[in-house]
Amino acid sequence: MTLYGAIFYLLAAIILAATALALTRRALMHAVVYLVNAFFATAMLFYLLGAPLPAAFEVIIYAGAIMVLFLFIIMLMGVKDGRDMDAKKALAVWLPPVFLGAATLAAGWVLITAPAGAKEALPMARATPAELGRFVFDRYWLGVEAVSFLLFAGLAGALFLGKSGDEAGKTAKDGQGGAA
Amino acid sequence: MSMTMGIVVLFVKMLAVLAVLLGMAAYMVLLERKLLGWFQLRPGPNRVGPFGLLQPIADGLKMLLKEDIIPRDAERLLFLIAPALLALTTLLAFAVVPFGPDLVIGGQVIPQVISDLNVGLLMIMALSSIGVYGVALGGWASNSKFSLLGAIRGAAMMISYELPLSLALVPVVMLSGSFSLTDIVNAQQGYPFILVQPLAFALFFVSAMAESKRVPFDMPEAENELMAGFHTEYSGMRFALFFVGEYVNMVLLGALTAVFFLGGWHGPFLPPIVWFLIKIMITPFFLIWTRASLPRLRYDQLMHLCWKVLTPLALLNIIVTGAFMAG
Amino acid sequence: MIVPLEHILLLAFILFLMGAVCALARRNLVMILLGLEVMLNAAGIAFVGASLRWMEMDGQAFVLFIMGVAAAEIAVGLALLVYCWRRSGSLDVNVFSRLKG
Repeated sequence: MTLYGAIFYLLAAIILAATALALTRRALMHAVVYLVNAFFATAMLFYLLGAPLPAAFEVIIYAGAIMVLFLFIIMLMGVKDGRDMDAKKALAVWLPPVFLGAATLAAGWVLITAPAGAKEALPMARATPAELGRFVFDRYWLGVEAVSFLLFAGLAGALFLGKSGDEAGKTAKDGQGGAA
Repeated sequence: MSMTMGIVVLFVKMLAVLAVLLGMAAYMVLLERKLLGWFQLRPGPNRVGPFGLLQPIADGLKMLLKEDIIPRDAERLLFLIAPALLALTTLLAFAVVPFGPDLVIGGQVIPQVISDLNVGLLMIMALSSIGVYGVALGGWASNSKFSLLGAIRGAAMMISYELPLSLALVPVVMLSGSFSLTDIVNAQQGYPFILVQPLAFALFFVSAMAESKRVPFDMPEAENELMAGFHTEYSGMRFALFFVGEYVNMVLLGALTAVFFLGGWHGPFLPPIVWFLIKIMITPFFLIWTRASLPRLRYDQLMHLCWKVLTPLALLNIIVTGAFMAG
Repeated sequence: MIVPLEHILLLAFILFLMGAVCALARRNLVMILLGLEVMLNAAGIAFVGASLRWMEMDGQAFVLFIMGVAAAEIAVGLALLVYCWRRSGSLDVNVFSRLKG
């Protein structure tokens, strides 16, 4: 195992552990903090896999904007407890996800084991931000426009939902912060 | 250069930057108090040492010797790491700031930057967005109403102002064609970008003032309505860490302004590093000046300014710059 | 040399699974949204790994699009969440099983 391989397994372990801890927490704030750790490790994984620009955006957008928004909403609403209400219907709640999970794992296993001869380790390579930027705007300019329209729609939707509630002004601003 | 030699050089550079930064942060406090004193026609601190020059050391000693109080109902772990998070992210940002051109010592080329990342500018943005957690978690974990209010205000304000801050830097990246801070400084060989991008400079400066949570944008820690906002419950060295974070952040903003708009280390007569240090000090001076002369903005005025003035202006500036570059 | 693509895909699969199970099994609205984020993140890891495997930048370009979509999704999602909280004072999805407000 090379040095980069070791770093990969370390980062993978951090991501898996942090995500698992995040998704099983009772307190919402702890879940958010653990998930921020997972996203931070993911950003480093991206850098390792030769994608510095997505790595930077992973921290800026996921950890820096989306998770802060979660934090903000949790603080604003003052909910501390994220406990699930109905412990009685445990089987009905857990059966579909477990079934789906098994199906996904089976499909994943087939997909992973099927292509023979793809076992060799990946080489190091790096796409510079300039290359990636040029590539995106050359090949996927329509996609960029579509995403910008989507963001605009998200802004309008969040604004509408915020305004139609009781305290109009206050949450309209949250919506704006979110869509940005 | 051999591997061990490279590591030694790297460590020397890191130590030098850290020592200079912490020293500058400590003396920034003294500078602020002195300048505020002069603005208000009083002498400022002058008891400890000549001209009060030993005041930062006395302050530091006092902070170290104070009791470190943790409120009973606080979230212990989050409460403990929040100040470190804020100070750490600001200090880390200096890893990509170039202090001068490449040095040649004994045939070896040594760049005067710890790590010249090709996503340097984005890394600074990422670190500043992680810094928001220091404010938000610190305020939330204290389990106090004042702190929580300060944290909510701080989180909303900082993610809002990150938008005009980064949008104001887009024209700089367009003109220099790189995210690397060294390349950006090299692109300003002939003239600093402030001459061609005065609007971007103004937008960056105002947003940076808000990012550093200083008057007139000090809503998160407004003394007379929230006591001290998100750091009400902190004491001793942890409180000092918040302070170190704030003052290192002032130095960082000075360095970024110098790199992005004032031409970095370029300048006549004086050696490059001296020019850079002079340019670094310009922004903190203006920040202190505004603190002495402007009142605090109301919260809705603050959000108005960000979303209805700064952000549209920044977008317009990008479009105009793009049109000029294409035409 | 890093690792084979299979290991990256395995990581992405396990992450996606965790996100899916969380989104389906948890009854708290915030946790469901967090589960969605984890799933999108897992897709991003798979894309970046594939991008390195075939030496094409399409994968990395898609990661950028995924982030844009995630930002838009979470803006509307959290606005809805606040709306629900104000209407009913609860974040439990079972409370929102009636069609009429």
